[in-house]
Amino acid sequence: MPAERSYGMDHPHYHYSPIPERPSLRWPDGKALALGALILLEHYEWQPPEAAYSLRNPSGGLIKLPSPDYLQLTHREYGHRVGVFRLLDLLERYAIPATVAIDSLTALNYPWLVDYLLERRCELIGHGIAASRLITSKINATTESEVIEESLDAVEQASGVRPVGWLSPEGVESDRTPALVAAAGLKYLCDWPNDEQPYQMTVPSGNLVSLPLFLEADDEFALWHRRTSLQSWEQTIVSAATQLHRDGENSGRHLMLTLRPWLSGQPFRISTLERALSEVTKLPNLWLAQGSEIVDAFLECDC
Amino acid sequence: MVDRPRITWPGNARVALWIAPNVEHYEYLPPRDPQRNPWPRSPHPDVQGYAHRDYGNRVGFWRMLEALDQHQVRCTASTNLAVFEHYPDIGKAMADRGWEIMSHGIYNTRYLSALTEDEERAFYSDCIETLQRHTGQRLRGMLGPAVSNTVRTPDLMAEAGLTYHADWLHDDQPIPINVKQGQLISVPYSIELNDVPVFLQHHDTADFVAMVKAQFDTLYAEGAESGRVMALALHPYLMGMPHRIAGLEEILDYLLGHKLVWQATACEIADHFIENHYEDFVQHAQRIKGVADAS
Repeated sequence: MPAERSYGMDHPHYHYSPIPERPSLRWPDGKALALGALILLEHYEWQPPEAAYSLRNPSGGLIKLPSPDYLQLTHREYGHRVGVFRLLDLLERYAIPATVAIDSLTALNYPWLVDYLLERRCELIGHGIAASRLITSKINATTESEVIEESLDAVEQASGVRPVGWLSPEGVESDRTPALVAAAGLKYLCDWPNDEQPYQMTVPSGNLVSLPLFLEADDEFALWHRRTSLQSWEQTIVSAATQLHRDGENSGRHLMLTLRPWLSGQPFRISTLERALSEVTKLPNLWLAQGSEIVDAFLECDC
Repeated sequence: MVDRPRITWPGNARVALWIAPNVEHYEYLPPRDPQRNPWPRSPHPDVQGYAHRDYGNRVGFWRMLEALDQHQVRCTASTNLAVFEHYPDIGKAMADRGWEIMSHGIYNTRYLSALTEDEERAFYSDCIETLQRHTGQRLRGMLGPAVSNTVRTPDLMAEAGLTYHADWLHDDQPIPINVKQGQLISVPYSIELNDVPVFLQHHDTADFVAMVKAQFDTLYAEGAESGRVMALALHPYLMGMPHRIAGLEEILDYLLGHKLVWQATACEIADHFIENHYEDFVQHAQRIKGVADAS
């Protein structure tokens, strides 16, 4: 429905909250900035089901080619085979514990990779069925609930742990998604890049926190869509973290970096990311954390 | 430009500088427009696009405000007027500082392009009435909502009693716009010194800072001959980001560090021009047209 001209948001998912009006957010041990990294493992199907919806112009490959687009599909597949290990090694070197959004086709078809993620103590969060099957308003509520359940079941089956966090494939939602992921028992949602602090969402049942990702430093947003230079990407990460760390002395901030193994896991990009992380992790009052830890700390903070 | 009457600004300033934060609301589920889809990335809603812009109202506006306050900038806020209804804290912050509110329509997802003449007339009444109700300010000018217009826009703006239109990129000085009745001028805005197009593609903060300084240097030099206008168009959801705010501070330090700058609001520039230069510019335009007619 078009907006009605009245106070607050034009949807039911959260309340308007200007940051200067909020109580001070305190991270554990008085840290100023919570830094996390969210790795996306997104499967693109060679032959998606007839009714599936994907982005018109998904990233990867060269130009949009008639199906099967070997370049796009294999470019993305590089992440599952090579890039993810490079990224995990890098994060481990800087003691940044990884959070991994994993779709069900990845979880079920890459058991070796799932075991590897668990050995590295990654937190797995739900990420739909596949990047070639988006959750949009074109599917009905029943189907959407089934997709959410199926995705969580698959991750639980593969890893033994049921996720508490969620990122919709390609960050695309229907207008029911926050309500349905909360009803499925999830605790946090990463689809809304609109803040520097977690915030409470309003849902009919359950209890849902929004954990915003930092879109401008997202590798796909910056490097693929905006085509910024690697130097500029590095500068974005370092200066954002520095400013958030400064602001976080008054009220804690978080910064979730979104990393795609097929993109920032490429050999020519990894050294840039390494330089950025080596700078950022020098900040003195930094808390390196996974998604659910940040959300739990937000919920425990008396604010 | 080279043959015009000379513009003088107050204090013999060379450049009249107006700074325009665009304070906006993009709808979650906007009405369908026959010509333009605000969220083409996915079927609506596009929560990523929506939330990116929503960041401006939750966080970015407030960080930008600190930098603008420190430099005592008198802004001309290009405002989707429904912001006063959705986010009264933002409305109050702007009103308390005495910023000029320029209409940027009601929502950034409601375009003028497909409106009928009567609908467009009602739109101006709505804008005027909304601003009056929330701030007591009289509406003086407009940047079309998401820079949309119709062929009738200048005539209907003048008929509604507005003074200036900011959608004309055709000059470095205010220019009289021909309208059926009343009076309307353009006040130059910028779609180049504007964080949206700059950051839409591969440029980033350092590039923007360099562009703004270079633009200013040229206008400041040329302004010794005849006054120039410079607009700086900003969006809280972009320039209020943590990695860009130092760039805004650098820009403000640089621009306001020059002596012969008149940091004014758009309607102050418009009023000064109308009072002192409008007639000369109209006569000059007629003289130029006469040369064309004679040849």
